[in-house]
This record gives sequence, structure tokens and C-alpha cells, in this order.
Amino acid sequence: MRRFCDGLNRRDGLRAGVAGLFGSAIGLPGVLRAADQSRSKRDVSLIFVFLHGGQSQLDTFDLKPDAPAEFRGEFKPMSTRVPGLQICERLPKMAGCADRYSLIRSFRHHNSDHGPADHYMLTGYFPAAGFNPSLSPNNTRPSAGAVVSRMLGGAGAVPAYVALPKMHPSGGSAFLGANHAPFVIEADPSAPNFNVPDLLPPVAVSGDRLGDRRRLLETIDNFQRNGEAAANAHAGAAGAFRQRAFGLMTSPKAKAAFDIHSEPAKVRDEYGRNTLGQSCLMARRLVEAGVRCVTIDHSNWDTHDENFKVLRETLLPAFDSAMSALFKDLADRGLLDSTIVVASGEFGRTPRINKNAGRDHWGPAFTVLLGGGGIKGGVVVGKTNERAERPVSDPVGPEDLYATMFSLMGIDPKAEVHMPDGRPAAIVNNGKVISELT
Amino acid sequence: MIITVALLLLTPCSMEAAAEPIHFENDILPILGRHGCNSSGCHGKAEGQGGFKLSVLGSDPEADLAAIIKEGRGRRVVPSAPDESLLLRKASGRVAHGGGVKLQAGAEDYATVRSWINAGAPMGSPDAPKVVSIRVVPESGVMAPGAGQTLKVMARFSDNREKDVTRHARFQSNAEAVAAVDATGLVRTLETPGEAAVMAGYLGEVAVFRVMVPRPGKVAAGAVPFLNEIDRLVDAKLARLNIAPSGLCGDSEFLRRVHIDLCGVLPTPAAARKFLADTRPDKRVRLVDELLQRPEHADLWAMRWADLLRVDREALGHQQASLYHGWIRSAVAGNMPLDRFAKSIVASDGPPTEVGPANFLKVLSKPGDAASAVSQVFLGVRITCAECHHHPFDKWRQSDYHGMAAHFTASAVSHPRTRKVVHPHPLGAEMPTERPKEEPRVLLAEWMATPGNPYFSRNLANRIWAWMTGRGIVEPVDDFRATNPPVNPELLDFLALRLEESRFDARSLIRLVAASRVYQASAAPNETNKLDERNFSRSYLRRPEAEVTLDIICQALGVGEKFQGSPLAERATQVWDSKARHEFLKKFGRPSRVTACECERTKDPSVAQVLSLLNSSLVHDKLSHDGGTVARLAEASGNDARLVEDLYMVFLSRQPTPAESASGRDYLSGRGRSRRAAAEDLAWALLNSGEFLFNH
Repeated sequence: MRRFCDGLNRRDGLRAGVAGLFGSAIGLPGVLRAADQSRSKRDVSLIFVFLHGGQSQLDTFDLKPDAPAEFRGEFKPMSTRVPGLQICERLPKMAGCADRYSLIRSFRHHNSDHGPADHYMLTGYFPAAGFNPSLSPNNTRPSAGAVVSRMLGGAGAVPAYVALPKMHPSGGSAFLGANHAPFVIEADPSAPNFNVPDLLPPVAVSGDRLGDRRRLLETIDNFQRNGEAAANAHAGAAGAFRQRAFGLMTSPKAKAAFDIHSEPAKVRDEYGRNTLGQSCLMARRLVEAGVRCVTIDHSNWDTHDENFKVLRETLLPAFDSAMSALFKDLADRGLLDSTIVVASGEFGRTPRINKNAGRDHWGPAFTVLLGGGGIKGGVVVGKTNERAERPVSDPVGPEDLYATMFSLMGIDPKAEVHMPDGRPAAIVNNGKVISELT
Repeated sequence: MIITVALLLLTPCSMEAAAEPIHFENDILPILGRHGCNSSGCHGKAEGQGGFKLSVLGSDPEADLAAIIKEGRGRRVVPSAPDESLLLRKASGRVAHGGGVKLQAGAEDYATVRSWINAGAPMGSPDAPKVVSIRVVPESGVMAPGAGQTLKVMARFSDNREKDVTRHARFQSNAEAVAAVDATGLVRTLETPGEAAVMAGYLGEVAVFRVMVPRPGKVAAGAVPFLNEIDRLVDAKLARLNIAPSGLCGDSEFLRRVHIDLCGVLPTPAAARKFLADTRPDKRVRLVDELLQRPEHADLWAMRWADLLRVDREALGHQQASLYHGWIRSAVAGNMPLDRFAKSIVASDGPPTEVGPANFLKVLSKPGDAASAVSQVFLGVRITCAECHHHPFDKWRQSDYHGMAAHFTASAVSHPRTRKVVHPHPLGAEMPTERPKEEPRVLLAEWMATPGNPYFSRNLANRIWAWMTGRGIVEPVDDFRATNPPVNPELLDFLALRLEESRFDARSLIRLVAASRVYQASAAPNETNKLDERNFSRSYLRRPEAEVTLDIICQALGVGEKFQGSPLAERATQVWDSKARHEFLKKFGRPSRVTACECERTKDPSVAQVLSLLNSSLVHDKLSHDGGTVARLAEASGNDARLVEDLYMVFLSRQPTPAESASGRDYLSGRGRSRRAAAEDLAWALLNSGEFLFNH
């Protein structure tokens, strides 16, 4: 039985975590401190919280208390830590940390259909002709994480780009290829038995048996030894990926990062014991271990029916806890300056309330939240008209969001990559860095 | 330039007819092209850049002139004060320009543009000679590593005059590791031997300089066998590259290779033992004949066609997609001649609910989409670029694209720029003066299969070659163009000719390829060919399709898989529905069939794939299944040596070497595990080895 220096077999630890034995005493902070040393201060990561379905701007960050009743809805504004800034009364924790993030209230684009608008927000490009939203991946352009992976590469054993708790269909790498596709954690981190699928062999294959198997494989695999793999690009790449896979499986750092069960119960409670909360917590753990981009695909914000009830009872409390805990936790760990957090849906929702007490799709105006990674806190960019129907100043679009995110990450927004057929492709479609935020 | 000439002659032109010294199209557009202003990454892209849009590579001079003189509130050109023109201030970097400094103030190109503006920014005489073609001097060369060669680009004008346009040509190499080219046309070879095609472009014209960098050093004349004409053609090319081919592979390697390439299955251990014991000299040829008759061959090759022909449940509905797939499979099973196969699809007649092949045009209901897909699938030519602009790396113009599209609609098709009616005509053919009386799709199908058609038979021969060897003679297989030449044109011509002579009999071409030493070569590289992945100097490692990878795992482990919506399918290659949910298939790159591009099926490896093979329950459940191969062999194989041998026969179709046998026996008995658990470990390691996962 191979054991690690703390006397515990890592696999057992990871499994034991399910039963709650892998508490904070295991020295996770120590493992992660080691991670910090491999992480230069200049390396900025991105956590993109996608509010799939479209978050209502009027009921979160752009309230219009003076609008007629059929527009303003039932929530009231509340003051925040930032003088003069008011947000929804149902987001009290976010009000308490409003100095950590900024809001773009004049965000807008021209599309109000889920598929294309999703692609637009997740890649910065409106999809090209022939786009088929029912495919997964459906990218005609690489997603933010794929570009980040391509431009910055990975750091250590962890993948550069991780998607959870599933990959949004527009989260793919398009022409950047398999090497920059996300590592998808196809599992809900709030599930009691959460495990990263396929990261570990079945329980029956215990640690020493895995070690035996790995040595056996190395003995058997003639091609890696005899030159066939070196002489064939795909086989060579597969060999390299196998090293990376074993790295993921056996690196204490990677294993610790994925082991959400080792997080203190108090921290897990603060984030909220739900999919969004635990996904945000997982995102923090991954960024801490060196992942460059984590995208969280959170459903379902598509509140055509009973908008207020759904927001009040489930979505807003979950959002309030998850996002505020994420900002606090990142700040406490000294990671906020090197981690950009973006929260946005594919669009906003119709200002006029429909007959089902819901709101429908609305691309012409919505709010995007950004914080960390060098973004100023407490700034409000732009404003909308009296019914939050359209921006009346400083309109901002997806291109500008991407130019801003990438430039904060040290990626030149004017950089070009090449498609397989040799055509150049700008990573950002002509956006402008939003200067008020930086 | 034919379109442009026609346009200029027919459009009443308000410009001065008097000959201007500076001509917009002949003198200014080349400058914009040379500096990348109208490239597809900058002002040439569909949405333009910074509010200034140019046609890609100057394919629409009228629109470009209008954009320069009329748009931008007239500030782009100021004839009274040329230096104050925004065009020059931006290009010279005097005001902020996202593209940087392109024209140094005072340099020759700057002076040319300045004089042109000063002259009132005219279009120039419509009678001025136009560029009709370009050529590169020299056209080809053999160079040593680390050598240099300056290219000259000559443009021929409609008055037959030639002019050196090197200074305004753009250059691009298709293999930068072999030969790189700089902006002035200086080609420099690097240390990697091989070949490169260096494209020179000027306005809409392209030409190619082909360079070969032979491997330095001596090649020992090896005794490699010569089995048919394919070997002579490949060896001739290898000799020029100074590369020695690998020798013939062993029987077990051939047996496994041809099973996977032709049928997507592993040989059973019984079949393997029988084949290895067979002493007849023609046993390899016999085996190919047997495999071509097997239903698994029809399953696998029908799946490959179904990818290209868009058998898509979501687009067609369950019944029609199933009908369509059934037709394809029976065509493959019956070895339908490929010209008839193509004609049935392109010129299909009847309702798609009843006529299987009519579903191709059901999926591709827009004429332009049908034109693109037919060109790509049956001609190996990508024309989609030419929908909106001249193809930047080929000769195709918008008239070619819309001429193809016109086959697929009864309505009149007009050129998007000139608005003139475009009658149906195949790629590269003259446009008829009126719409033909016959169904144009029938004419198109007949044109494709005419002996000597430059695209159809070469494309099909190339695809069949690639489906067997893992790589096309033209690669990507559906991207034939002057700037992407075949690595061995003589080989491609030979295969295409044999396909035509056999009246498009796919199986006879498969037999011909399989009988060659090139196909039967060993995968083991030698010192001279270890860097070659293009010229078929050895058998290349190829990862089978997602479906085949899954099937051979199931076959080896002796436990099948269930497929959603296809209760009768025993193997993944039989599942006609590309949208049936299956995580493994998705992860391993099964295409969704939303394009006609072979590239939609990705064979790129990924960490997730590796993890799935190492750890997934799919693999482990089959590995430890009580009715599976491992449980059966652990019980039945008498001693450890026999168990090791049986496992090697199952996974790799060969006997273990003495060393492999010893280390396997050592593992079975030396780890204190049950025989079955130890056998599972051995099977797991064999399954994850490159020798299992790659066909070779």
C-alpha cells in the first residue's frame, strides 16, 4: 500500500470524504499553499457563472421602483455597502459586498433566442450561418475557456478549462480542437456522493492495484517504447494525454481540488447546499489549484411563468449566497485580485410582466455582473430608461465584455488564431475594453 | 476577372474613359492586398473592421472604390489635400489604427496611393488590361535543409503582357516546418525534410511553388518487396525524398489491420490462429475477399457514407432517416457502382418518404447548401467561400458557386453582385447560354462520372485510400485545390484511372490497395522514415472511429452494449442514428452529421477519452462481468502461460513474445490477487495500450 506523507492513502481520503472523514484537518490548505507557489501573481483566472435562461434585470440589479406596476414587479430596492447603489431587497448578502463587484446595466445585444444568444454571450461572437443550437458542442467560435486555454495554456496537473456541472452546448472549442475543449465535470457538486466521473477507477481497484496496473501498462505498451508513438502525431498525443490523465488521477493537488467533501461544512453552508452554491465553491477550489477558466452552467433562469415566486423562493436566495460567498472566499484567500468573476445570462427579461406573472426573453437591455481580477468594485456602467427596456447611455455588448475579460487576463484582445483551413480568426470581434471598470 | 470585365463592359460608367496613369483595380487594390487590408481577418471580413469594409482580396472593386470614396463621410480620400485623407492617415499610423502602420509615409506604396487620390481617386479606364493569371518562377525546386530561394511572381494581363508583381504578391506556406516564406517571397527551408506548397496570391489569382527537401544522408537499398503498381509509384516518390520504406508487416499485424479497416471488428482468436497457420501464398488476398463479403463491411462503410450524406434523425425524422440509411447500407452491401450511387443521390427522383436517396436533398433543401455539399462529398472541392467572394486559395468565383447552386432549384439564380442570371453549370465548366431543357441534376451527375472528369474519380479514389490507410493523398480529403496539392499526384491519377476503368467498382479498388506492399507495410518506423507522416513510407497509426473503438472494446471483453433507439443493433457501427445518446461515442468524436465534412468526425485524442478508457464503468463493468471474456478465460485457460497467450490473442491478435509471456505470467501469479483479478489487470493494460487502441 503506497501512502502519502500524511499517512493517508489519497484514494481512501477521497472516498472517505464522501463519509465526511476527510475533514479540513487533512491539511488541504497545505496542499493548496503548494499550489500557490506554482501560480504567479500575474496569472488571472476566470469564473464565468452563466445564468442559463436569462436573469431578470428588473428583479436583481436594475430595479425601477417608479415604473408602472406591470413593469416594476413586486421586489423593492435596498441600499448596499456602496453609497447610492441599490439592488434588489432579495439579494441582501450581495448588497453587503457590493464594493467587491461592478455592474454593467447598459448591456445589450440584438438577439432574444436562447441558442444564438447563448453562443453570443459564451463566445463573444454571434453564431455563424448554419448554427445548430441543438448540437453539443454547437460552437461556430471557441468559448471563452477554450480561448483562454489556447492563449494561456494549463498550469500543472489540472486542466486549463473546466466546465461544471455540465458543459453548456456553446462551451466547446470549435476550431481550436480537442486540446482546448473543456474538461467536463458531468456531475452535481452538491450531490452527497459527488465524484468527478472517470477520474478514479472503481473502488475495487485500490491504490496499490492502480499502481500495479499503471506499471503493467507501461511494460506492455510497446508503441510508446519502440518509436511508433513518437512517429505518429495522434498516438504521441494520446500518450501525452495519458500522462496527463494519470497526473490528474494521482496528483494530490488535482485530487484535493476536486474533493469538495474536504471543505469545512461551514464554508459549504455559506455557499449554499445547492447546485449553484457548490459549483461556485468547486470553481474556487479549481482556480486555486491552477485552473484558468471555470464555466458554471446554471439553470433555470427562464422564468416565463411565476417569475417572482421562482426568484423569491429558489433562484435569488441561491444566487445571493453563492455569489457573495464566492467573492468573500476569494478575497479571504487573496485570490480575488487574480480571479475575474462574471455572472450573466444570455439576455435579460421583458420589462412588461406577462399574463403568467412571468417575464419573457429580452436582449435589448440587461445587467452583467463582474468583479475581481483587477476590476474596480462598486462601479455602475451605464443606465437604462425608466422601464429598463434599453440603455440610455454607454451601451456595452458581448464583444466589449470579451475584450475586457481577456485584456485583464493578459491576453491581447486583438490577437488572432488560425482556423484549420488557414483563415485568421480574431479572438475578439472588435470589442472595446470597458475603461470604467479597469 | 471574367465577371469584373463583363460588369465593367455592361455597366454605364460615369468615370472618365480617358486612360489614367493609375488604375484602381490594377494599381491600388494590389497595395491593399499586399498589406493585408482586405484580408478576411481585417477589413475584408463580412462585418468589416472599424466601420470600413472591403471585399475579400479585392474581389469587388466597385464596392471597394465606393467604400473608399463615398462612405466614411467622405473623409477617407481628400483629393485637394491627399495627405489629409483618412485612408493615408490611418494606414501610415498618423491617427490611431488598430492594424498598425501599413504604409510608411514617403514609401513607394504610399506615394502611389497619394498620387491616385490626388488624381481624384478614379476607377480608371474600363478598357485597361486586366490580370488573367499569375505564375510563380520557379514553379518547383529541390532544396537542401537550411537553404533559401527567392520567388518571382509574374502576372499576365488580358493584352498578353507580363509584369513582375512580386512586390505586391502575398505568400503562404502549407508546411511551415519544412519551408517558411516571408512577405517578400523568400522561401527558407528548415531542418525537417519533406515537401511544401508555397502559395503566391495576387488580386484573386493564385499559383504555387512546390519545394521538396530530401532527407540528407544515405539510404541503404533495402530489400522491400514490390507487390503492385502502387508500390512503384510510392517508392518513386520516396526515392526522391531519400526515404526508405518500412518492410512488409507480419501476418498477425495484417490480419488485425484489415479486419479493422474493412469491417471495424477484431479477428476472433480462432480466426487468427487459422490465418496464422495458413501457408497458402495468397492468403492475404483471400482474406480481403472474405472480409468484403461480410455484413460488418457494409455496416462500417455505410456508416462512413452516412456521415457525409447527412443521415440525420433530427432533420429527417426517424422513419425517413432509417429508410435513407437502409438504402445506403444496401448500396454498399451490393457494391453499387459509385457513379450510380452518386447519381441516385444527386439526381434523385421521388418523395423522400419513399425514395431513400432523395433524403440528401431533403436535408440540404437550400440550393447553395446542396451545391456546397455535393461539391465537397462527390468532388472533394470546398466552394462555400465562393458564395460571398472569390475563394482566397483557389480559382473558384461566385459564378462557380451559384452555377452549382442553380442545379438544385427550379427558380432563376442570379449572381449576387452583377445580378445577372446564372444558369446551372458544373465546377470549372463554361456556363451555357440558357437553362438546359433536361433536369440539370441529371446532367450534373452525368458530368461527374464522365471518364476524365478531374474531380469525381480522384475524390472517390482518395477517400477510399484514406479510409484504408488513415490518410488521404490529398489531405484533408475533401479539400482539393491548387494550393493543397496531392502528395503523390501520379499515385492519385493511377487510382482514379483504375476506378474509372473498373466502372467505379469500389471493392476492386479496395482489393488493389490491400494487395499493395504500401498497405501491407509494417508500422515500425526506420531511421529514414520516422519523420514522414505523409508519403506512405510505412503504415501509420490510426485511431478507429468512435463506434469501432467501442465495438472492439465490447468484442474483446465479450460483453455487448445496448443502444438507445436501436434495440436490434449489436455493434455501434450498425446504429444509424448519430443523435442516439451515448457518452462514450460522443466523447470519442462521433459526428452529429450536421455538415458534409469528413472533419466533423474528430479523431483528436483528449484527456477525457483517456480517463474514460482507464476508469469508466463502461470499461470496468465489461472487464469484470461474470459472463465476459476475462472471467471465461480465467476459468478455461489451463495454465498462466496459456491465459497470457489467450489474452494477447483476444486484444492484439498475436502471440505474446517470450518476454511478454514471462512478464504476464509473473503478474498473474506474483501479486497475491485472485487469478481473475490479475487477469482483469492484464486485460485492462492490454486494452489501454497503443497497440490495441490504434490500428497499425
